[in-house]
Amino acid sequence: MSTIVRGVRNAFRNTIRTGGVTVILALSIGLALVMLLSLKTVQARIQTVKQSIGNTISVSPAGARGFDGGGEPLTQTDLDAVKSLPHVSGVVASLNDRLTPITDTSLASAIDPGTLGNRFRSRGGDAAPAPAGNSSGGATRTFTIPIMVSGVGQVTAAAVNATSLKFTSGSAVDASGKANVADIGTELATKNNLKVGSTFTYGTTTVTVSGIFDAGNKFANAGVIMPIATVQTLSAQPGQISTATITADDITNVPAAVTAIKAKLGTKADVVSQQDTATNAIAPLENIKTVSLYSLIGALTAGAVITFLTMLMIVRERRREIGVLKAIGASNVKIVVQFVAEAVTLTSMGAVVGVIGGLLLSNPVLKLLVTTSTSTSTTGAGPGGGGRGFARIIGGFGGQSLQNLQAVIGYDILLYGLLAALIIAVVGSALPAWLIAKVRPAEVMRGE
Amino acid sequence: MLIVENLSKEFNSGAGPVQAVDSISFEVPEGKFAAIIGKSGSGKSTLLALLGALDKPTSGAIKVGDQDITKLGDQDLIKYRRNRIGFVFQGYNLVPNLTALENVMLPMEFAGVRGAERKARAASLLDQVGITVEEQSRKPSRLSGGQQQRVAIARALANRPQLILADEPTGNLDSTTGKLIVDLLRHLARTEKTTILAVTHDLEIARQTDLTFRLADGKLVGEERHARAQRPAVAA
Ligand SMILES: Nc1ncnc2c1ncn2[C@@H]1O[C@H](COP(=O)(O)OP(=O)(O)OP(=O)(O)O)[C@@H](O)[C@H]1O
Ligand SMILES: [Mg+2]
Repeated sequence: MSTIVRGVRNAFRNTIRTGGVTVILALSIGLALVMLLSLKTVQARIQTVKQSIGNTISVSPAGARGFDGGGEPLTQTDLDAVKSLPHVSGVVASLNDRLTPITDTSLASAIDPGTLGNRFRSRGGDAAPAPAGNSSGGATRTFTIPIMVSGVGQVTAAAVNATSLKFTSGSAVDASGKANVADIGTELATKNNLKVGSTFTYGTTTVTVSGIFDAGNKFANAGVIMPIATVQTLSAQPGQISTATITADDITNVPAAVTAIKAKLGTKADVVSQQDTATNAIAPLENIKTVSLYSLIGALTAGAVITFLTMLMIVRERRREIGVLKAIGASNVKIVVQFVAEAVTLTSMGAVVGVIGGLLLSNPVLKLLVTTSTSTSTTGAGPGGGGRGFARIIGGFGGQSLQNLQAVIGYDILLYGLLAALIIAVVGSALPAWLIAKVRPAEVMRGE
Repeated sequence: MLIVENLSKEFNSGAGPVQAVDSISFEVPEGKFAAIIGKSGSGKSTLLALLGALDKPTSGAIKVGDQDITKLGDQDLIKYRRNRIGFVFQGYNLVPNLTALENVMLPMEFAGVRGAERKARAASLLDQVGITVEEQSRKPSRLSGGQQQRVAIARALANRPQLILADEPTGNLDSTTGKLIVDLLRHLARTEKTTILAVTHDLEIARQTDLTFRLADGKLVGEERHARAQRPAVAA
């Protein structure tokens, strides 16, 4: 029989204690595991939420909101200043214009105002001139919706406020150039019977169609994308931009970049990122994270202390036996190995029970945490005035991020947890065993 | 041959230094059975612990064979305890969750003896001390005191030691069983050619040994040789 076998057998020497130690260790290992899993799950979800919100910051002239607000346009000089700020990795400027059919362009709008549009107009919401001949109209007044032109520095889906952009024919314009070229949406192309190579007028200038795109929605597909320099020239707004999309070098640096941009541009620009929205959406997740983290630390500490004290107790209890083993010729190493084997056996049993229990309990516990922290955050958001719509968005966002939270079980987590438990067991047994083994046997064997 | 020269052990207790063993010198020839007697607190256990390298003397020398064990390092002391010494304690001190057979195999395992050989020798030793095959597979709690002490003697003999140190081996036993244990020790001293040093309170037992040392206050105050007609001493 080897030293290790003897150690393993010693783990079962006292059935009641073996059972007790196993249960206690299982509880702390199980709890630590549940908390570790919650923590990992929530962290992963926070990352996802942040990622989905992206690392872009939009800058627009102060007070401007689309075409309906006021404000002074931003200039290229402003953007050049922003470009050199820390954490800013990219700046894409855009200048929008809108062309009224007949007056400004040969193009006809692909959007039928419809009942909603007409009702809106009848309340004076828009000032686009009605086509000649209809000016004296009574009940059936109609108007034409202008054509949106996005002057951009880069052809992306974001240029037309869409999430996807693909070309059905032709190709993207060279957005960094200033040629009189344009990409038009499929709706606009159909309405005006345009193909790649066809032309239309922008004021008095003739523009050539270079590509036809599909951005996935009707409104975007009724628009035009052109190089920003061309739009600046044709709309007589040299050096001006209406919005800029700034990319931060990392999601976590977005707040810092926002602060820096605000400091640079002062009151002339509105700087908006979705990070605030994200922060609010993440708040309940952060709560769970904090709870999990503290519980994890608590469970680990308790487990470590329990393991250490248990092994200390077992070793001390067998002081005399250690003395006897040494008297009959055992080396210190053998004694340490024997106790380590015993500790590892006890811990392994605790770990097996704890891991099984932890896996079974992780999802219920996560749900419980979610329920608690969601109600907390709702109460907290309640009194916040002026942002009810916003709060609703957050609520929706937060709610969504909290639903479908499934404990993500990674084998690496399990392994790390077990490794930690084993290390504690080994240290907790080896240290006292070694300390006693080093004492002269006569001292050890003297009565307690 | 065991030679003790000027051996002293001083303890520092709360009341000041205690000379538990005070400049003791004596010799025990190989294969002899010696008894140590003396009142409680006279230093008998301390002396035995020093001889068995369970403790370190304050001064003096202990020569076993040609080696002075007071000059050995920790690793050599482990080897000394394992290969040259066999201990028998008053409280038996068997490992409680090992069977009688496994207890006897233990010192051989520490010495690196192969499994099959260990088992065979342990069984043969237990047989010699009168433990039946059925009793050999029992744990100590299911053996009587006399049986446990016989297992302990078999365990002490496992690695063929030169010296057996027994601290009141019959102290927990009735006088009949005690006498059987002493007879057994004496018999084994002869067959295994082992020197035995036994602490005892029983003067009856002491009279049956080859040599008796009397201690008082840590000092050696008497030494008797018993020329016993019925049992001539084994020549060195
Ligand atoms: N570790 C120690 N620290 C302090 N004093 C000690 C220590 N060990 C022994 N002593 C003292 O040394 C003396 C001798 O003790 P020892 O145990 O050797 O006596 P003994 O002859 O074996 O007695 P008994 O017959 O009662 O077993 C005693 O006075 C005892 O108090
Ligand atoms: Mg004593």
